[in-house]
Amino acid sequence: MEEKDVHDKLETSFRKVFNNNSLAIERSMTANDIEKWDSLTHMLLISEIEDSFEIRFKLKELNKMKNVGDMIDMIITKL
Amino acid sequence: MVFTSFNFLIFFPLVLALYWLTPARYRYITLLVASCYFYINIKPVFVFLILGISVIAWVLALLVSKTENEKKKKALFILNIAALLLPLFFFKYFGAINNTLAALLAENNLRWPLPEIRYLLPVGISFYTFMALGYAIDVYNEDIEPEKNPALVSVFISFFPLILSGPIERAGNMLPQFRKAQSPNYDMIVKGMRLILWGYFMKLVVADRLGIYVDSIYNHIPEHNGTSILFASILYPFQLYADLGGYSLIAIGCSNALGFNIVPNFNKPFFAPSMAEFWRRWHMSLITWLTDYVYTPLSFLFRKLKIWGIVIALLFTFLLSGIWHGASLAFVAWGLLQGIFLSIEALLNKKKAAFEKRHNLDRKSWYLTAGIIITFILFASSMVFSRAGSLDVALTAYRKIFTEPGKLFIGSPSTIIYFTCSLLILLLKDFIDEFYPEKFKMFEHQSSLVRIASVSMVIILILLIGVFDSSQFIYFQF
Amino acid sequence: MHQLHLNSFFTGRYGKRAAHLLMLVFTVAILDYSLGALLDYYYFKQQSGWLYRTTYALNETNAELIILGSSRANHHYHPDVIGQRLHFTYYNAGRDGSYLFYHYAVLKGILKRYKPKMVILDFGITEFMKNQESYDRISYLLPYYKTHPEIRSIIELKSTAEKLKLISRIYPFNSSLVTIVAGNPVFHMTKDGDKEGYIPLHNKWNEPLITYNSSECYEFDTTEIRIYKMLIQDCINAGVKLYIVASPYFHKLKSTECSILEGRKIAGLYNIPFIDFSGNEYFTARPQLFDDSYHLNDQGARVFSGMLMDTITGNTAGTPGMKLSGYTSSSSNRNK
Repeated sequence: MEEKDVHDKLETSFRKVFNNNSLAIERSMTANDIEKWDSLTHMLLISEIEDSFEIRFKLKELNKMKNVGDMIDMIITKL
Repeated sequence: MVFTSFNFLIFFPLVLALYWLTPARYRYITLLVASCYFYINIKPVFVFLILGISVIAWVLALLVSKTENEKKKKALFILNIAALLLPLFFFKYFGAINNTLAALLAENNLRWPLPEIRYLLPVGISFYTFMALGYAIDVYNEDIEPEKNPALVSVFISFFPLILSGPIERAGNMLPQFRKAQSPNYDMIVKGMRLILWGYFMKLVVADRLGIYVDSIYNHIPEHNGTSILFASILYPFQLYADLGGYSLIAIGCSNALGFNIVPNFNKPFFAPSMAEFWRRWHMSLITWLTDYVYTPLSFLFRKLKIWGIVIALLFTFLLSGIWHGASLAFVAWGLLQGIFLSIEALLNKKKAAFEKRHNLDRKSWYLTAGIIITFILFASSMVFSRAGSLDVALTAYRKIFTEPGKLFIGSPSTIIYFTCSLLILLLKDFIDEFYPEKFKMFEHQSSLVRIASVSMVIILILLIGVFDSSQFIYFQF
Repeated sequence: MHQLHLNSFFTGRYGKRAAHLLMLVFTVAILDYSLGALLDYYYFKQQSGWLYRTTYALNETNAELIILGSSRANHHYHPDVIGQRLHFTYYNAGRDGSYLFYHYAVLKGILKRYKPKMVILDFGITEFMKNQESYDRISYLLPYYKTHPEIRSIIELKSTAEKLKLISRIYPFNSSLVTIVAGNPVFHMTKDGDKEGYIPLHNKWNEPLITYNSSECYEFDTTEIRIYKMLIQDCINAGVKLYIVASPYFHKLKSTECSILEGRKIAGLYNIPFIDFSGNEYFTARPQLFDDSYHLNDQGARVFSGMLMDTITGNTAGTPGMKLSGYTSSSSNRNK
């Protein structure tokens, strides 16, 4: 999969979990930039990404994903 | 020696001077010596405990990191965690469990082989155990490199500003700062001093004065009516905020003066419009610790259960928080209540968001105010358990609040006058910082005249109405 | 490295900071000095209230009989009953929450001005127990540090840094602001209705008798014992007749408390009468004489004061069925 496709699919997941159909994500974004993205919803997002891309994360990997860009990169390594 | 003892006012300036006079490479040694001296002044024998824990943390972290074999690594890690938790468990919980079991068996005429246990809890053990645990976990997760120098690990765990009541810091933040050779930063020292002063105001003028009144009610629950208990229960969260918040500011301020950046512990918590937001502003260092090391792994484990995985993780994390605070069912109840409140909020989150959007509520100030008040009521009601200390006293207090109104107990009019004035000052400052952040700065005003005047006023206020010892009391004759 | 030229020091960065620091110290000192002086002035202008009573005891009373002690002294020794029997003028210098250090200081302040004919010291069942409060409450005496050199050594017992703290002129008046304002003539309050320092209590206690929870003895506070001995010696030197009295409690005492035993023993060494009513069963059988388990009410004070007078004057042909314990006069050394 190309990065752009990953980005778009990821954006769909974000929109679904945070209930916002106009949400646009960028590589530099973190939880501070998106309302409703906090520790109470983070795992919902992770689980949704895993379902959507059919991958599994490891706990250690969560810590390494500090922003959307890291997420995209991490997903790509798992595809 | 505690922050509010006169000795500390002599100790700290001396240490500060000594610290900056020490050549940069050896400054952490000065700190280690000062921390040991500080701790010896509280209870000599427990210095060995804290140094022992430091050595265990240092050794096992190195071993864990050097081990290649995954299984062995995990085993060593578990040993590390167990070894660090053992003293905490022993001093804090073993006595309670032992005595409870003994009492239970005695009721059934059975004998429990061990005698009743009463020991002194080593001061700060809950805090530095968590700091040591954090270090162990971070090394295992390969988030940080293990530290080779045992003295550095020791100074991290025993660092005297943080040892009594936190904030709970992380090795990843502190160790690099201990290693770095820095030159004294005047602005940071001054900033630290300001925090220390405000911390003393919060603790001595607000918290301890409120405490005199709250204690006179809560230490005699059977003798007071529901109205008085209700009033004391409303005051208690403020007392706790001023106490722990003030103490944290002194800790942070001292650390700043020594050149260290420390995480904050409180962020105007009473302006939170929801419990979730409240717990992002109250005892922040503890919550982030629990989030990183307990909640996140748990919610990750149960993520397939979606929102119910979150709920389980919340309940368990706050249950643990309750137990951390105290070894009694009352604290368990308190922790569980927090978990329940947050779970309900999480479950209703989507509905709430839709409701707010439909009625355009989240910008309306009355809605915000209602949220603030409801959050406060929820928190204050859960704190009844915490202050009562035991389940039956807490339930008695609750029963009385709802069934026994009466005349409000005054006790000492001057106490009430003092804490009303000082609490209003504190809340006003927090209000301004929350809603008008760049305005009305007093300690940091442009004009040096305003700065000097406001600092002087606070010092004078502390001299005038700070609670320095037990000569301030409410004489409760019943 | 900065090159500091002397003539531009105070306009340079460090000069400015030093100047600000000096201004801060100066401002605090001025405020402390002036507010402290103001508080001092109004403190001593009080005409009523707790703080005034300490001033009255130390500076003004001329009574022939002085009662020393805590709130128990304050509520237990009835001036009418005692006055009828002894015909002495009376002042009750008991103060809530005070301990031996305070009692001794009051005595010293009094003895400096005149010699009372008699002093009664109320003695508590845990009088010699080590207790941080007993030191903290020395703060009652702080406002008198400047004007009463004879009690300075007692005030300095409060903590090792006390002299340092007294540099602040506000410090002695910490937490007294509201009380000073209320106790001044403009806001004069006379609702206490105290007769020469005695304060009557009017509640009637109706809870069951509980056993006082203490069995083994504890470590004595040697400083308190030293002060106790000094108190006794000062009375002897001044020719003042001293009686040490443990007044009634509404508690069942399993045995004589160890502070009482020690206090009695020491009093015996100086031939001072020690009268022990602490476990007296006449009183433990009558809760209606008590306000709460630690204090007699006005009725109880009358009864107790009567019995005490009987003991002191040697007239024990009083109420039948009553049991007394302890010394009745300095000549009979019978232990109970």
